[in-house]
Amino acid sequence: MNNIVIGLLAIIGTLIVYLFMWKLHRRILLPVTLPIFLGSIVIVLILLIFHIDYDTYMIGGEWINQLLGPAVVALAYPLYQQRDLLKRLFFPILMGTFVGAVVGIMSGVLLAKWLGVEEFIIYSLVSKSVTTPVSIVIADSLGGAMPLAAVFVMLAGMCGVLIAPFIFKAFKIDHVIGRGVGIGSASHAIGTARAMEDGPLGGSASTVAMVLSAIIVSIIAPILVEWMI
Amino acid sequence: MLKLGKIITHIAVLYGIFLIGNWIQLTFHLIIPGSVIGMILLFILLYTKSIKVSWIEDGTRLFVSHLTLFFIPATVGIVNYLQLFTGEGILLIIIVLISTALVMGISGVVSQWFVRKKEMHHE
Repeated sequence: MNNIVIGLLAIIGTLIVYLFMWKLHRRILLPVTLPIFLGSIVIVLILLIFHIDYDTYMIGGEWINQLLGPAVVALAYPLYQQRDLLKRLFFPILMGTFVGAVVGIMSGVLLAKWLGVEEFIIYSLVSKSVTTPVSIVIADSLGGAMPLAAVFVMLAGMCGVLIAPFIFKAFKIDHVIGRGVGIGSASHAIGTARAMEDGPLGGSASTVAMVLSAIIVSIIAPILVEWMI
Repeated sequence: MLKLGKIITHIAVLYGIFLIGNWIQLTFHLIIPGSVIGMILLFILLYTKSIKVSWIEDGTRLFVSHLTLFFIPATVGIVNYLQLFTGEGILLIIIVLISTALVMGISGVVSQWFVRKKEMHHE
């Protein structure tokens, strides 16, 4: 009985925090006001201040976690909506996304190894360029920590949005498809939301890149990591 | 109320496809996660018109537009790893930053190159 009450409190609390942050983000459209970022910080602070264990919070949190799998399945819908673009530019988008996936995995592993980062942290970092629910499953299967993976994904998303203008300039990416694929491959849904603000075509390219990237990374990450570590 | 029922049904369909994806993964011992298999499966079902978009549309839309809500509990787990981000842990953020910059730049350049090549062929 007690667990049901705790669970419900955790779920309702998470929903309220999320909705509040979502409204705030609609007023102040900045990467640092993203509900996933501010919302997670608020809940972490609540747990720390009231000395609540993560395990206790997860009595309810686990119910929300249950929906991560279907959330990934749902991504088929935006991909389906972009089927014309997918058909027309399948090869360019696939090539960009594939090379990006390889670069993301390898650069992450190499930099972390070079700096002497602990192995379980490296495993949590490998899939940072793909959307959270896929990334945490990949990290878990490699031997990483899911919450760390979730945080690295969030950081990749936020950093990506902040640096995108400089990267486009430095790499001379001025084509709308190139920009969309770049931001979608590196910064998943957070990047895609940003790309959509600039226009529908870039947003569509970013959506396709984000979804393809999730598929590609989940296949090649275990292979590359085994080879590199 | 009718709308809520519809959304719950749609999410149940997504959940069912997720379970099928998991089953396929386990049965054939694939490395690709069951959820990703489910996504590919749903895309194929929609693309081949095996299922109607209206069977999943409202629920899926709501799901996708509030996707990050579902990421919060997993992310909050960082509360057990906070010590990692003090001192030298800042390096982790720098690794993510550099790697993200490389992914964005290189994937952008590669796809742009292929798109331009394609555009030239058509003109």
